[in-house]
Amino acid sequence: MKKRYFSTFELVLLALLAALVVVAKISLRLPLQLSGHSGIFWMAIIIVAAGIVPKLGAVSLVGLTSGILAAFLGLGDFGALNTLLSYTAVGVGADLALWLLRNPENLVVATLAGTLGHMAKFLVKWGMAAITGAPVGFVALGLARALLGYLVFGALGGLLGGLTLRALRRAGFFAYLAEKR
Amino acid sequence: MPRQRRARLGARGLALVEDSPLRWADPRAKLALSLCASLAVMLPLKQLAVFMAAFAGLLLWARLLPEAARQVWRLKWILLALFLLDWLLVSLDLAVIITLRLALLAGAFSLFFASTMPGELRLALEWLRLPYRYAFSLSLAFQSLELLGDEWRAILEAQQARGAWTPPTGWRNLSGRLRDLVSLTVPAITLAAKRAWSMTEAAYARGFDSPHRQPYRRLAWRPLDTWLLIGSVAAMAALLIWRYTTAWNG
Repeated sequence: MKKRYFSTFELVLLALLAALVVVAKISLRLPLQLSGHSGIFWMAIIIVAAGIVPKLGAVSLVGLTSGILAAFLGLGDFGALNTLLSYTAVGVGADLALWLLRNPENLVVATLAGTLGHMAKFLVKWGMAAITGAPVGFVALGLARALLGYLVFGALGGLLGGLTLRALRRAGFFAYLAEKR
Repeated sequence: MPRQRRARLGARGLALVEDSPLRWADPRAKLALSLCASLAVMLPLKQLAVFMAAFAGLLLWARLLPEAARQVWRLKWILLALFLLDWLLVSLDLAVIITLRLALLAGAFSLFFASTMPGELRLALEWLRLPYRYAFSLSLAFQSLELLGDEWRAILEAQQARGAWTPPTGWRNLSGRLRDLVSLTVPAITLAAKRAWSMTEAAYARGFDSPHRQPYRRLAWRPLDTWLLIGSVAAMAALLIWRYTTAWNG
């Protein structure tokens, strides 16, 4: 039988984690007056996905799937295309960061990967505005406040993801997973 | 008022306009139409204005204008700020064209997402040669949303009842509470993994990955789809020809 890159269990798990990203985005609203605060849980789940399925492309798949789900649910401020691209960018950004930095259980690595992944979403927003021909400076000015939020909550989300992975390891979750694989 | 079906997931749901004439059009035709509409951002002001008027007419006919307008309305402050800045610091023409382009980008894909079910997108993706396993995982994710939403709420309520977690009220609390947030993520991930295993077993029991698998539902290309495709390609070609003939004559 042909060897698949992702096993069926891994694919199903990644799909459920993508759904969890969207659920967390919808259900959890923290009373913090700064855009991007939902990134705390969002990036945490992304980092956990990278730890559970340690293969290049796994997190990108979570990003793409959650982007399609979010677009169908009408989430996001810039329309469906932007929603799809920005969720995908979060996955691709985190994937590339973890490909370079490796171990997502290391809290520094997880924090950095979370920040870079969340920044990728910000870049999509900025790129979409720039593609319309709007002067880049104006767009940057308009999104300057949001940038701070994306950096902080991306980092916190990454850190939360790292802490979650450590807690899961202590709880014997990875032994359970190895058995299932 | 268009009738919208909303899946139960908190206040949010699937923004599907069921009585739209495009509801039963082929998702491949709608995808092509949305992509053509997005490409119109490259047009100069006059052609873009004509295209926007025609596109608004199409959305009105398809009863999708309120959904597209809702998407654009969310952008109102950004659009207003950019319009004023561009107008005051550059020119009125630039202000108008950028506002129109942003509005088009925000609204173009509502035509697709507000009239298509995720299962139909899955079939379209399969037709585009996406492996069945990936298309399956996409529809599985969609079908699990409500279930995971219920589980997530149950975890939140249980941890709040135990005093293990309370929502942070400000920045000062947030960093200290980060470890408390682990009490939400760990059970959510564990439950997702358990569910993933049950679903994998159920899928294999039903012959998932069988070499002779045949889809239960198939996409059907109708005359309306042909007209949609021809119409969108012809409209884009006409606008591009208009653009370049104007440029050469000018």
